[in-house]
Amino acid sequence: MTEVIRIQEGVLADNDRAAEDLRLRFRESGTCVVNLMSGPGAGKTTLLERTAEALQGRLRLGVAVGDIQTSRDADRIARHGVPVVQINTGDACHLDARMVTPAADHLLPLGLDLLIVENVGNLVCPAEFEIGEDAKVVMLSVTEGADKPAKYPLMFHVSRLMLVSKVDLLPHVDFSMEAAIADARALNPDLQVIALSARTGEGLDPWIDWLLGLRDKARGR
Amino acid sequence: MHEVAVAQQMLEVIRRTLEGRPPVRVRVARLVLGQLTCVDPETLSFAFEVACRGTAAEGCRLEVERVPLRVRCTACGAEEERGDPMAPCERCGDRRGEVVAGRELQLTTLDVEEHGP
Ligand SMILES: Nc1nc2c(ncn2[C@@H]2O[C@H](COP(=O)(O)OP(=O)(O)O)[C@@H](O)[C@H]2O)c(=O)[nH]1
Ligand SMILES: [Mg+2]
Ligand SMILES: [Zn+2]
Repeated sequence: MTEVIRIQEGVLADNDRAAEDLRLRFRESGTCVVNLMSGPGAGKTTLLERTAEALQGRLRLGVAVGDIQTSRDADRIARHGVPVVQINTGDACHLDARMVTPAADHLLPLGLDLLIVENVGNLVCPAEFEIGEDAKVVMLSVTEGADKPAKYPLMFHVSRLMLVSKVDLLPHVDFSMEAAIADARALNPDLQVIALSARTGEGLDPWIDWLLGLRDKARGR
Repeated sequence: MHEVAVAQQMLEVIRRTLEGRPPVRVRVARLVLGQLTCVDPETLSFAFEVACRGTAAEGCRLEVERVPLRVRCTACGAEEERGDPMAPCERCGDRRGEVVAGRELQLTTLDVEEHGP
């Protein structure tokens, strides 16, 4: 005899619960958390190096880096005097709340104002997994092409801010800023955009201001 | 590819659902999958089949129901299905919209049979 059983919870409910636990802990320790996502090589680590320099003496920054095997990214950021935890993702193509939890265990006791989590380089998978963050930020480099928001709409739908990176290379590539922004906003009309170059420093001030603004908002929560 | 992670979570949800019941075999598992969700149904089916091996759901059929993307136009308020997420509103031509449906990733029902010969 066949019986039909109804199921009440979503497939990612476990992760959502773990993310909710993290969110509470972040809130209790007064730490604002940014989930930084992009395709491979868009410039996340380079921007974090610049960010660490810019925020020195202004707020206490910590970084968690998801990296498949190496600690290269973590080492690069640690050189700027910022506490860094490397999250070994193994063969996972994204960070989930369970993977971020040990990093939070390490970093939260340091009393951080801001924790930036560099996700695994991938425009697909990280978009599905909450990690208790205050905001998701997606980075798109001009060398990847303006068609990415149309190809990976979920990533741009879930993000609060899009960073268009490596704009110093704009003269050398065929990248339409208007098309990328219009596509990214199709399913996310409120998406904020900052164009920047970690190489020349262009756009860095608006990015730092955005982080400070987010931190202030998180404090008031 | 996170289909493997999703498949493992599906199995975990099934395990919890069956907890405390007399032993059963799962024959059919039904999943609703929104169009905007970044999960490839074929990859997921394969990953799920592998994840089910050696469990009460071994050999079960996975029925995937795709939910189309539905968008409410920011400009004119019209609500419509968008086969192409980047397509403009059919009424006013604006492309910006709020996602109403299409992010589903949920097991809905299981068909189970009593375990035994
Ligand atoms: N021209 C240019 N290259 C950059 C910029 N930011 C990063 N890169 C280069 O892009 C490559 C990948 O950068 P990385 O920060 O490791 O990217 P991640 O994989 O997203 O962390 C490196 O060779 C960087 O030097 C930039 O603003 N301009
Ligand atoms: Mg990196
Ligand atoms: Zn319209």
